Amino acid sequence: MARILFSVPPLTGHLNPALAVAEELEKRGHQIAWAVHAKQIRDKLPPRAWVYPLDAEDVDGPSIADPQVRGLESVRLFFEDYTLPIALRMLTPLEAISRSFCPDVMVVDHQLPGAALVARKLGVPWTTLVTTTASILKMSPTVDEWVAQQYMSLQCSYLPKELRVERPDFSPHQVVVFSNETLLGNAHPRVDAPYHFVGPTKGNGRRVVDFPWDWLRSDSRKLLISLGTVSRDRDTRFFEVMMAALAEMPEIQAVMVAPESLAERAPLNVLVRSYVPQLELLDQMDGVICHAGHNTVCEALSRGLPLIVAPIRDDQPVIARQVIDAGAGLSMRHGKVTPAMARSTIEKLFSTPELAANAKRLAQSMLAAPGAVGAANLIAAQASPSVRPVH
Amino acid sequence: MSTSYDDVLAVVIQQIRSTVNEDWIEDFEIGPETRFNDDLELESIEFVKIADAIQNHFGNQLGIISWLSGKSIHELIGLSVGDLTGFITSALATPEA
Repeated sequence: MARILFSVPPLTGHLNPALAVAEELEKRGHQIAWAVHAKQIRDKLPPRAWVYPLDAEDVDGPSIADPQVRGLESVRLFFEDYTLPIALRMLTPLEAISRSFCPDVMVVDHQLPGAALVARKLGVPWTTLVTTTASILKMSPTVDEWVAQQYMSLQCSYLPKELRVERPDFSPHQVVVFSNETLLGNAHPRVDAPYHFVGPTKGNGRRVVDFPWDWLRSDSRKLLISLGTVSRDRDTRFFEVMMAALAEMPEIQAVMVAPESLAERAPLNVLVRSYVPQLELLDQMDGVICHAGHNTVCEALSRGLPLIVAPIRDDQPVIARQVIDAGAGLSMRHGKVTPAMARSTIEKLFSTPELAANAKRLAQSMLAAPGAVGAANLIAAQASPSVRPVH
Repeated sequence: MSTSYDDVLAVVIQQIRSTVNEDWIEDFEIGPETRFNDDLELESIEFVKIADAIQNHFGNQLGIISWLSGKSIHELIGLSVGDLTGFITSALATPEA
């Protein structure tokens, strides 16, 4: 049995893959502990989880500073106002947690560099979890250089000089990526790191969410519309445009993950819910309209569903481009799309069989990937490099 | 003969409209203050297409992409139609090497 310390940011897209991997490791008898911002995500962890809070001293815990920004500006602010301040605040508490728990392995999300720095300083073997492939790509010299500068300033405050590297967020031992190389494509060079592409996890470890399943008809085409948890409450324009377009398309039923205040204005064929059991729902869908969040894209493609991507921020434009290049989706401009354009794009989604065919091709490679089991194998092997004698 | 800033601006705006070619952009007001990232929601691949279209229009290599690669991340985020127009106007005024 190994002692494994997980540390991930309090964001659904980062937590969900880790939950699946942790559940798999726990099933094999390993001792899991979580060093997380408990005020925000304790309710999404297993009820009996061993939790070390990173935010005991914080009043509110971290939040995405300005959810309104988009594109490259959101990448800058995500570093400057979210990732780096969180990293600085967590270094001291996490070092103490790690000395107390004595992990054999640390499992660290790639956007929680504070945990990566602690693993590096203490010399603990560690695995990086990568929940979006945008992070492993070299996008442009300007952006890459800026990212390296951000990491260097963080390291200077904590790590001795000989331990500082250009990309401290990636473990030199192993980097687990929840996607596959077919979707990733070759449009951009990669940061050099020991990657293991395990594909998406299958959703284990998530809490149960209620859903009115009998609302779905057997004779309709079904769409899931989601902008993810960060952008869900940003503004309602996009959702209103979708409702206006779908009001003219009664043959389609859409489940829209949006503020429930929109429900009273929704046409009969649109069901508004603020939280859904996404994986079970995707099993019933024919297509997806989304922000090109990495998990939603991989989950949709695992089921062979074609997508309409409307990227907003962070890694989303990069992932949206992967979907388009793979021939499995169409694009929509999030802040500009009109009801007429939405309607014609939805019609095209369902009348272009190549999109679904390419999505099904990607599904085969996604389903062949080992997912959470593969990630757990890698982490377990790191915990016991040679098989230990059984006592 | 040099091309005035306003002439270049009109070309830049026209090339943005025809490259994006979606219904909303027909009525969307574009001026020197309009930012590519925030106001137009353009991704980099679309920006490259617009740069190519502008360079084709003027019939020479203006070096728009290498001009961009010298910019900081803050400048890229705030890049406006006026910034691009200013660069092209001065590139056109400089005799080709």
